[in-house]
Amino acid sequence: MNTYYATNLLVYAGVDIIACLALNMQFGVSGIVNFSFIVFQAVGAYAAAVLSLPPDSANGGFQIYVGGYQLPFPIPWIGGAAAGGLLAIPVGLVVLRRLRSDYQAIALLVLSIITNAVITNARPLLNGAAGLALVPPPFSDQIDPNTETYQFLYVGLTAVCVVIVFVLVNRIVNSPYGRSLRAMRERELAAIAIGKNPVRLKMTVFIVGGVIAGLSGAILVGFIQLWAPSVWLYPETIILFAAVIVGGRGNNIGAILGALLVPVGFEEVTRFIPTTIGPPGLIPALQWVAIGLLIIGFLWFRPEGVRPEPRHVFEGAPAREESA
Amino acid sequence: MAAAVDSLVTAGRPMLVASDIHRHFEGLHAVDGVSMDVPSGQITGLIGPNGAGKSTFLAVLAGTLPASAGTIVFDGEDVTTAPAYMRARRGLVRTFQLPSEFGRLTVLENLLVAAPKNRGDSLFGALRGRKYWIDDERRLAQQARALLKRFGLSAQESEYAGTMSGGQKRLIEIMRALMLQPRLLLLDEPMSGVHPKIVLEIQHYLEDLRAEGLTILMVEHELHMVERLCDSVVVMAQGKVIGSGTMATLRRQREIVDAYLVG
Amino acid sequence: MDLYVAAFGFGLVGMSVIAIAAVGFTMQFGITNMINLAYGEVMISSAYVAYYLNKAGISIWFGMVAGALFGAMFSFLLNRIVYAPFLRKGTAPIGMVIVSLAVSLMIANLLLPIVGYYSVSYQDTTGGLLRAGGIVLTTNQIAIIGVAVVLMLLIHGLLRYTRLGKAMRATAANPTLARNCGIPTQRVIDAVWLITGALCGLAGVVAAMNSDSFAIANGAGFLITALAAAVLGGAGQPYGAMIGAVIIGMVTELSAAAWSPEYKEVVAFGILVLVMVLRPQGLLAKRGALAAAG
Repeated sequence: MNTYYATNLLVYAGVDIIACLALNMQFGVSGIVNFSFIVFQAVGAYAAAVLSLPPDSANGGFQIYVGGYQLPFPIPWIGGAAAGGLLAIPVGLVVLRRLRSDYQAIALLVLSIITNAVITNARPLLNGAAGLALVPPPFSDQIDPNTETYQFLYVGLTAVCVVIVFVLVNRIVNSPYGRSLRAMRERELAAIAIGKNPVRLKMTVFIVGGVIAGLSGAILVGFIQLWAPSVWLYPETIILFAAVIVGGRGNNIGAILGALLVPVGFEEVTRFIPTTIGPPGLIPALQWVAIGLLIIGFLWFRPEGVRPEPRHVFEGAPAREESA
Repeated sequence: MAAAVDSLVTAGRPMLVASDIHRHFEGLHAVDGVSMDVPSGQITGLIGPNGAGKSTFLAVLAGTLPASAGTIVFDGEDVTTAPAYMRARRGLVRTFQLPSEFGRLTVLENLLVAAPKNRGDSLFGALRGRKYWIDDERRLAQQARALLKRFGLSAQESEYAGTMSGGQKRLIEIMRALMLQPRLLLLDEPMSGVHPKIVLEIQHYLEDLRAEGLTILMVEHELHMVERLCDSVVVMAQGKVIGSGTMATLRRQREIVDAYLVG
Repeated sequence: MDLYVAAFGFGLVGMSVIAIAAVGFTMQFGITNMINLAYGEVMISSAYVAYYLNKAGISIWFGMVAGALFGAMFSFLLNRIVYAPFLRKGTAPIGMVIVSLAVSLMIANLLLPIVGYYSVSYQDTTGGLLRAGGIVLTTNQIAIIGVAVVLMLLIHGLLRYTRLGKAMRATAANPTLARNCGIPTQRVIDAVWLITGALCGLAGVVAAMNSDSFAIANGAGFLITALAAAVLGGAGQPYGAMIGAVIIGMVTELSAAAWSPEYKEVVAFGILVLVMVLRPQGLLAKRGALAAAG
């Protein structure tokens, strides 16, 4: 195993963990089926990219995009996170206010499909189908991105972000606020009857989740240095849903577990299968079939996931008899 | 025994005044011009045959459904356009006919989540970490546990509310409503689907709460219960009020007996 | 101006295709409360069935029938094997959406290695062009309009005048009550999936006929357009879906003439958003079908 493989794995794992923590907060805890999650990661990546790229006339001018401010770290990452949060505002205001939850999910799914189509076709915006390349990674002026040292630095940066996100999400979820979110998820009408404002709760969770998703996009684009519509097609959100469902929805550790099992685990396991078996594209297609089976299988046999939502026992509670 | 009050004159102003409430939807007039005063500190019953519009009226009072016309004044304040969650915060709290517990929250959590003054119950409060809100939590847990003890559910505090029996769920809902320190409690058939033994318990709890000054408006089918518990009664049929007063007075009114009361 | 007259003609065809798809989709939702996100994939699968028959030399019209039969069978089995068990288990509507999305993903990816990623199209040399006052359409396109009209009349007849249709409407309005009134809801639901599945399959074939080429990737676009028309008309309302199809079919073709054909689905999506913001229950409202709780 060489270092680049390991650091690559670790950065992807970190990004996936951050994304799953956000999606778990939206879906697992609050019951918002955000089928457009990947769009928020994408907007963060694009924002970070156009903030760190030079103006589009540079590099031979083969790309066309807005922005190009060549800003140093950490501005692109902050910008990416902000972009994710800002996008959540109009989307949330349209979708989360008056529709029942299954229609909310559909609307978000359709948003994901259409946004990808629009960005692919509107070339002057973000360089269309080809996407953005040669995105300068953080600190590329100070350290050569091609060295091992840089790889470790990146892993370190990602790890710091993972820790920060975990602490914040944990505080939100395991608090009276998190309890209100869960109550809203359980029975919205009753939550309203005890004074909760579901629109405000959903908007907040949607925006905070958007911020985190945007950050994950900024981290990823800084590492792989390119970003194109093919990277954020709508099924990418489904992988994250599979991760949260498998790992355990409503449980932050479950979200981390899911992130390691599904997006990371799948990629790694299938890496060892030779791609020459069968018609071209068979392995990726079967991966998707497996994801679908995972979701349906877990929803049927174990909907709560590997690590279910924990029971919150308050300090000083009388001893429970564990049921057989 | 219900206090024998032969009129609706009470000391002080009524807790709630509903004026000419209409609620129609897709051509159906579920509530067709209902006006009523809910006197403070009493248990008022709302009875009538199926389809009379009682539950719809309750939902309009609570804000779950918007009124098509009419005004609602709660403790002197016009809440006609206030959203349901706002009315709950102001002390106008409803329960539901069908079990409405938060299934995957524990019994204690069901109560805690209803408590309004919790520093941890906001985004920034939560982000500031456990130390910021733990004192509020402990204080509220004490309150909640006192309620659990009073209503006999202390042993179940860490059980998921969804696993409780029908009667227990009903009690949980009432306790949950009480955590909001309501001034008016709207009960939608609190005895339905509940074991007769627990029905008697609930009756006693409601009497105790009335003694403590709580105002209650209760939709109920079981007329014996209504007779025992309610200080006065309003009768609805086909979306309109067809009579009000004590059960004794109502029994003397021919139309009402014909329309609804049997025996 | 000629451009718009021609676009109007295309709009007539477009609305016909969308109407067949949208009515099937909305009936599935209206009667079984199921938002079938795999609808687009079933459409595409049926289009491919007709394609392979076409490649073997069989006429595309027979292929259309075959597509309808395939769609009927596929949808029926989909419900029996996947959806109905989850519904019996008490899965909430939102859970069913996740299930149907997973299913759509699986269908698309099971087909991809078989049919390939590249676009294909039907070979049809029988048709000619018809011109009338600036409108230019192939005979196939005219036939599609005819098929749509006939199907809409048949659906109307089914719902209005047959016992099955009345049973469907009763089940849509109140499934429990319908069952208590002795309506064999299981058989009604099976019939619904067969009939709407046939519509779905047929819609897939005509949609493919009306495009220059198609591939698995088009499934999502088919779904969005049918969904937009269904929601615009009022979820669960077949007549609403017809109206929605007329509007979306015409607006997307006119906008394609005005701006760019690549954005047809974007326009459909835009209409969907407008409906959700302004009038979520759609044009022919069904009792709070789309309204949020409380």
